[in-house]
Amino acid sequence: MIWNIAWKNIWRNKMRSFLVVMAIAFGLLGGIFSSAVLKGSSDQRVREAVSRETSHIQIHNPEFIEDNDVRYYIDDNLSKLESVLDTMKSVAAWSPRVKFMAMAGSANAGTGVVVIGINPEMERHVTEIHSLICDSCGSWFMSSKSVPVVAGSALVKKLGLHLHSKIVLTFQDVQGNLTGGAFRICGIYQTSNSVFDEMNIFVDRKDIIPLLNADTGICHEIAIRLEYPDKVKNVQHLLKGLFPSVLIQNWKEIDPLIGMMNDLMDLWLYLFMGIIMLALGFVIVNTMLMAIMERTKEIGMLAAIGMNKQRIFFLIMLESVFMSLTGGIIGIIIGVVVIWYMNRTGINLGSLSEGFEKLGYSPMLYPSLDLVFFINLTLMVIVTGILASIYPAKRALKLRPAEAIRND
Amino acid sequence: MNIISIEELRKSYHDSEVAVHALNGINLIIEKGEFTAIVGSSGSGKTTLLNMIGGLDSPDSGCIRIGDVDITSMKSHKLIDFRLRNIGFVFQSFNLIPVLTAFENVEFIMNLQGVKKEERRKRSTELLDAVGLGKRLHSRPSKLSGGQQQRVAVARALASHPRFILADEPTANLDSVSARNLLEIMDKLNQDEQITYIFSTHDQRVVNKAHRVIVLEDGMVVRDE
Repeated sequence: MIWNIAWKNIWRNKMRSFLVVMAIAFGLLGGIFSSAVLKGSSDQRVREAVSRETSHIQIHNPEFIEDNDVRYYIDDNLSKLESVLDTMKSVAAWSPRVKFMAMAGSANAGTGVVVIGINPEMERHVTEIHSLICDSCGSWFMSSKSVPVVAGSALVKKLGLHLHSKIVLTFQDVQGNLTGGAFRICGIYQTSNSVFDEMNIFVDRKDIIPLLNADTGICHEIAIRLEYPDKVKNVQHLLKGLFPSVLIQNWKEIDPLIGMMNDLMDLWLYLFMGIIMLALGFVIVNTMLMAIMERTKEIGMLAAIGMNKQRIFFLIMLESVFMSLTGGIIGIIIGVVVIWYMNRTGINLGSLSEGFEKLGYSPMLYPSLDLVFFINLTLMVIVTGILASIYPAKRALKLRPAEAIRND
Repeated sequence: MNIISIEELRKSYHDSEVAVHALNGINLIIEKGEFTAIVGSSGSGKTTLLNMIGGLDSPDSGCIRIGDVDITSMKSHKLIDFRLRNIGFVFQSFNLIPVLTAFENVEFIMNLQGVKKEERRKRSTELLDAVGLGKRLHSRPSKLSGGQQQRVAVARALASHPRFILADEPTANLDSVSARNLLEIMDKLNQDEQITYIFSTHDQRVVNKAHRVIVLEDGMVVRDE
């Protein structure tokens, strides 16, 4: 019956309660939408980084990570490693890579790049660079021209090149001798990370290994895409147990900045929502104080006829929770609809796109939030309602029934 | 059978460094089934006395026993529960819960007592029938006249099976017809069911109905007849 009274009490002053409920709803909506944009952007960045740059897991010779020297390839157990990866069900695809630093040059300019020698067919199952080549930008190593490369659009632009242009790569072979070769640009890819595009150039392993004066099986890096991304730590742990001499890193370890940003984003979202809830909490406290002042006589009567302090406290707490929860649910429902719609259409940042791409972010934002966020948000709304009721309830409990029932 | 016994009850209020002696050594015994009116001029101490008997205020000295229980030495939380189970209240300005219907207002006090739903419903209906509101069970207080609201308040006060009912100026806000109806109902319940009433009042009609009239002056009983 107390629940019934609490709910009805909220609507005694319909306009005031409506305004408070709307303030909560739209306050939350603002928070939910901002959080969805931030989270969507962060998740998108992680998704893109994993699918284009880092993959889920990478394996290296530990010394290769220290100074990226071409001589530090995976030499122990490589064939065994490859056969294990072939048999693991949780591994969706893997790609062996040759990787080294080089100078890329054109007739006009030169710049430092990372050359990634790949098996084009295996690589297309691990990363999605092949899908980022537009129709007029060539193809993923489907060229009749000799020694093709796929270069990023930012690199092509920087060197003043275009599709089918010749590009010269100069680097050291495994013996430390300076070597190099001329290649043809058969495809130009463009990710949302212009720094990545400017730095990375893909060549076919079979074309580059002879120039490195290395064995045909040389491999500096194995990139692995998993069937279930949430199993990354399990797979990493398993591989570490089987191959202790190589360095096995997950995407968060490969690119700690993205991993940290992603972890921090969750913390930031809750902090952000917490600040909004704090502000809404003050609105609720104020409203509940007004409601209690108006109902001094009634509360005095309840105490006089035998309603104990715990029940009066509970009644006021329920009113506060009902009010915040009503606003919260409305805000969440509107928020879900808005996010669902925006997630389908995306938000185009237009003129800001260049800046975003330099930071590695896509200029198209797709807001998104997971179910856990909404569950936690609902809990935060309830906790805010409870906390916001404490001061008004304490004020109500201080009322002396004999005086309160005479209050006009 | 004594329901209430009061011994040497004293209470002072301190207002701007001047002590006001609201109750100045009250001694009273109220027996079961009495219809008692406490009268006196404004400031004579009748409201203070009613508050003390109802456990809403505590005395400076003296003792109030309800049955065998000394309520002046009771702790606050126990006193609230004691009020719930032993004392019925009827207030001057009705003080019903405006968001509940007449039926729910009567039911509410039994809900606080933990009475089962079926029993609550049966007794609420019976009581509202007894006060002549059997057809207004589902009306909210705002849809009832002052007299009807006060009758709901009487039904509510009776709902908890109290030992006695304290009524603080119950007719003060009623027109003469409503006041007469209310008093007739209360009188009937007193005669039929031996309900004990203690009124604080200025209303001569209440005084005329009362079996016992206690006159207070300056916090003392000056007449008891």
